[in-house]
Amino acid sequence: MNSNTRTAWLFVAPATIIMVVACLYPVISAVRLGFFEWSMGTPWSEARWSGWTSFQIAFTEPSVWRSLWTTLKFAAVSVSAEMVLGIALALALEANIRGMAFFRSLFILPMMVAPIAVGLTWRYLYDAQFGLINAVLGVFGVAAQAWLAEESLAFAAIIIADIWQWTPFVFIMVVAGLSNVDASVIEAARIDGARWWTTTMRIKLPMIADVLAITLVMRLIDAFRVLEVIYVLTFGGPGESTEVLSLHIYKTAFIGQKLGAASAISVLLLAVVMALTWLALRLSNPLKDSEGDR
Amino acid sequence: MKRRELIKAGGIAGILAAAQFPLIRGAWAQDRYAKYRGQTVVMNVPAHPHYDAMAKILPEFTAQTGIKVELDKIAMGRMKDKQLLEMSKPQGDYDAVCYIVMWKGEYVKKNLVVELEPYFKNAALADPNYDIKDIVTGYLENLGLVGGKKGYLPGPGAKLYGLPYGAETSVLAYRKDIFDKHGFKPPQNYDDLQKILAPLKAKEGIGALTSRGQAGHQCVHAWLLHLNPLGGEVFDDHWNASFNKKPGIDALKLLKEISDTGPAGIPGYGQGEMINAFLQGQAAMYLDSILIMGQVNDPAKSKIAGKVGYALHPKGVRYASQSGGLGLAIPKNAKNKDAAFLLLQWLTSKSADLKVTKVGGNATRMSTLGDPDILKQYPDFAILKEQLKYVEPDWRPIIAEWDEINIQALGIAVSEALTGKKSPEEALNGMVPKVTDIMKRGGYLKA
Repeated sequence: MNSNTRTAWLFVAPATIIMVVACLYPVISAVRLGFFEWSMGTPWSEARWSGWTSFQIAFTEPSVWRSLWTTLKFAAVSVSAEMVLGIALALALEANIRGMAFFRSLFILPMMVAPIAVGLTWRYLYDAQFGLINAVLGVFGVAAQAWLAEESLAFAAIIIADIWQWTPFVFIMVVAGLSNVDASVIEAARIDGARWWTTTMRIKLPMIADVLAITLVMRLIDAFRVLEVIYVLTFGGPGESTEVLSLHIYKTAFIGQKLGAASAISVLLLAVVMALTWLALRLSNPLKDSEGDR
Repeated sequence: MKRRELIKAGGIAGILAAAQFPLIRGAWAQDRYAKYRGQTVVMNVPAHPHYDAMAKILPEFTAQTGIKVELDKIAMGRMKDKQLLEMSKPQGDYDAVCYIVMWKGEYVKKNLVVELEPYFKNAALADPNYDIKDIVTGYLENLGLVGGKKGYLPGPGAKLYGLPYGAETSVLAYRKDIFDKHGFKPPQNYDDLQKILAPLKAKEGIGALTSRGQAGHQCVHAWLLHLNPLGGEVFDDHWNASFNKKPGIDALKLLKEISDTGPAGIPGYGQGEMINAFLQGQAAMYLDSILIMGQVNDPAKSKIAGKVGYALHPKGVRYASQSGGLGLAIPKNAKNKDAAFLLLQWLTSKSADLKVTKVGGNATRMSTLGDPDILKQYPDFAILKEQLKYVEPDWRPIIAEWDEINIQALGIAVSEALTGKKSPEEALNGMVPKVTDIMKRGGYLKA
């Protein structure tokens, strides 16, 4: 190792060590806990070794796979919608005209609200009797809906709340990406006769592909971890129709008092998220260009 | 000195001593608190109308005793997680906790809370005027006793681990104006109740009876309200599932009918939405916790002040109103246990019970329910006094496994029946294996 490399490692080492400890230690603890049966409120000395039992349950219990499937559906629909809407909004507000900065600030407000507050607010909005959504629908002659009382509507309700809160995140990431696009390239395309759609789809978006990839990965990870909004809105109901995996883990740990089983299911969730992240990064390969430059 | 003079002197001395006794007792009372003056009792409480009322009278406790009280108020659904975390530490942050009745067995099984009887027997701490027999018997047994019959009922082995505070039973509230308008009478039994559901909705255009319905604890609570009077039970005497027998199915069918004829959205309703629907005039009847009594005439919350009448929870095969609500306990790892006991004792004393009831809290004592000023303020407490005769102590199994059964088993089955995804029979029968498995793991049934 030459001295430059050694120096580089020296500078990177403290942050790396902290990241390894902060990230790896909880993961190792969670995996370890999966091998024990331990109930909240009892000392660790009362935890019982259970071997692979909790992992077996995690991989075979129908409710685990049901909640994983619910999570996959939730993530697929909400993240897709957020990406499309966020990109569209960013493109629409790209123009550097007077007042645009104000609108951009306004659009990112939802993501600053605490998830619990989002859940409570939307619970009132969705109220079948007094909610604003039914009031607005009524103006257009649409019958009031029991948003949180029917399975399909409740699922749509949690997706809408998530799209409302996290589209702004996609928006600001894309705005930041677009601000780094070389204007001369766009100008050259226009001179060559390219229209807005061609410029956008063939030049702008490909140029910010790495930003889009990272945004997609971050939103996917967050979508798989969603808990607070669904906890407040539906608590996983009606029935189990909106019980996502993180809520199932919460119930297993704090209601079922099975911390070991909850940890084992968390490991499953971690594996799924890591797999998706790897896939998304592999397909987009944000480091492709920089590797090619070496 | 002649004998007569001696007796006279003795009598005078006795009278003088007796006259000093209140002063001595008062002094003792002051002495009871003296050692703890300046201490702070940290108490975990829920966001709940009774505890909002309690907060209004706490300054008086501090003024009288010199003991400060710090409240850690959180949403009811989050209390247990936080309490379990705190109570499992070597020394926790809480000196007193408010618990929901369903948690009492678990807290005692895990050795997290102290027994209260030694404190009541400690002359240095106990208030000789406390009169524990004045506390509503059903409340005290339901909220406070652990270790008796079935582990949660009175009987040999039962010990006191908590005091009721925010305890409740159920009552029927109805809109007198609507009933008078259409010539309905408040239903006295379940047949009468069922008969008026559809006509009420059809004639008045609002929901007949509001109800909880959200998946989990909420919908199971609503179902239990009808299961008990209809003669059903969750488990039989040998802990075998009994909820899927005819009374359980009938109760669930009735709940579905209540949902279909009630205000829109009941399958998503928590307790707040249920109460709000009634207070905002969207339902003609309410059949749930007595909490409603303190809110009906609150102009900030209610559009129906002065229009509500009360009746007994209707009879099925028997009268069996809800037993449950909230109580107070002292964690084993509390720093200031003695001061915490003094607070609990004061809050549940006769005078403090009167005070908290006057500002909208739930009464815990029979003397409060019979107090002339209270009856003037809440004339409807007359029905509450009658209702308390029919509190069902075995309203639900208060075992450590109940949370899991309540939320992750029955809470799904009842919800699926309410939305029509499954029939009541399918929903309840389908949950028997899961519940049986939980009971086997808990040691109630042979594996």
